[in-house]
Amino acid sequence: MTALARFRPAGRNRSAGARKTVTFGDASEVKGSPSWSIASLIFLFLVWWWIKRGPDPMVNDRTFPSLRQSWDAFFELVNSGYRRVGLWDHTWASLWRVLKGLAYGVVVGVPVGFAMGLSNRLRGIFDPVVELLRPVPPLALLPLFIVWFGIGEGSKVNLLFFAAVWIMVIAARAGVLGVQGSKVHAAYSLGANRWQILRYVILPNALPDIFTGMRVALGVCWGTLVAAELTGTTTGLGAMIFAASKFFRMDIVVVSIIIIGVIGVTMDLIMRFLERRLIPWRGKG
Amino acid sequence: MKDLSVDGLGMVYELPKGGSVEALHNVSFDLKAGRLLTLLGPSGCGKTTLLNIIAGFLAPTSGSVTLGGDPITGPGQERGMVFQQGALFEWQTVSQNVAFGPRMNRKKRSETETLVRDLLSTVGLQGFGDKAVYELSGGMQQRVALARCLANDPEVILMDEPLGALDALTREKMQGLILKLWQETGKTIVLVTHSVEEALYLGDRLFVMAPRPGRIEREYELPFAKDGLDVDPREMKASPEFIAKREELLSLIWEMEEQIMGHEGAVS
Repeated sequence: MTALARFRPAGRNRSAGARKTVTFGDASEVKGSPSWSIASLIFLFLVWWWIKRGPDPMVNDRTFPSLRQSWDAFFELVNSGYRRVGLWDHTWASLWRVLKGLAYGVVVGVPVGFAMGLSNRLRGIFDPVVELLRPVPPLALLPLFIVWFGIGEGSKVNLLFFAAVWIMVIAARAGVLGVQGSKVHAAYSLGANRWQILRYVILPNALPDIFTGMRVALGVCWGTLVAAELTGTTTGLGAMIFAASKFFRMDIVVVSIIIIGVIGVTMDLIMRFLERRLIPWRGKG
Repeated sequence: MKDLSVDGLGMVYELPKGGSVEALHNVSFDLKAGRLLTLLGPSGCGKTTLLNIIAGFLAPTSGSVTLGGDPITGPGQERGMVFQQGALFEWQTVSQNVAFGPRMNRKKRSETETLVRDLLSTVGLQGFGDKAVYELSGGMQQRVALARCLANDPEVILMDEPLGALDALTREKMQGLILKLWQETGKTIVLVTHSVEEALYLGDRLFVMAPRPGRIEREYELPFAKDGLDVDPREMKASPEFIAKREELLSLIWEMEEQIMGHEGAVS
């Protein structure tokens, strides 16, 4: 044993490379485990299957569709759509509404958030509006929106906009307030004017927060979608759920829920991918 | 070349709980163009406040600062700034960071490219232009900050503990770089530090500042910076003259610290 041996990481010496002995509480050591995720999914399906074959008389094919039934319903939807509208058209209608609502939310929310982060007066003006309306559930506004924007697309997109905009305001404001004073000072000392400070220092500094806001808003919009499609439309995944529930087609309800979930996850993965490509400096400041 | 003139500077901070702190009291001095002034003192002596006033980030409560006769009222590119933590723009590459000043001034792209390449080799970062700044070590980041500051060809370079976050070895190397830049460019530099050795080695002039109220306690004219590049830095720092000065300054600052402790002890 040389003196150096004491500095080798503890643990079994046979293993190649260093190994940490303290992992509990070390965030960099917690990366998830794909095999356990797959196991968890399988377990979920097992629970589903187990409830189905249980003795509870309330659980029958009408109230609780089996895996098999749902799978069949999915193919029925893929092949012939629902109520003369193809599954893809339902999905696309929903997706388009969500993306529109989010886009409006970003276009309005980011400038407002910036204004609130940059000016006392504008912060004062917008604070009560934002704080009062932010906690209101979008669904509560549906009756008003229908009266104001019509029963068609207008009320739906506006409802999704309402769900997104406050999140974007808060995110953009946090982004602006998170700018290090020394960076702004450095930029002024390098000859930047106010506009250049905004464009070349504050905006890039706030982009990571804005992107996080977009991810959260996308999730919330997707979650508000079913409420938005409650009335006045025959297209969209939410509308499909309501129509199917009236005819007690729980298999179609279940399939729609799964589709909404899968699309939600996919969109988040896309956003994360874009984030890595577009904002590689996140967290490196 | 413009001289820096500080006249009767006073700065009083109002405390949120009432009362006030006099961070600077009647600070006056003239700094000829091309000199390297180091500011040394215990915490709370107002050295960073003084630097921020010269930079134009703070307005003094009394007195004035002029550069070449023009009063300073806000930040400006004739006074470049180097911060302790680089304050680099992490969304830009090394080259883009250095090119920031010229870009803000809408300088020609081709000229800027040449300038950036020259500056990067001046600070010893040739070949690093396309790296992201967060890929560099702390010392290299400070090199980028120096190059970025030089790109605008400022009259004065203000440095707020520029090497304070670096390890001892990197710090020595960077001191050499600062001396080299000073001698080659002939710029006026004001450098705040809490390292006695650094203040002595780099300062062609040195102010020891004292707290409560913040003021210039003692002034020195030093020979070390002028010879700094010709003599081996370790040798210089080990020379009897250097050590004598170092001990003198240390005991001066120790005394101040003791007084502050005594003062605070009496209050609490």
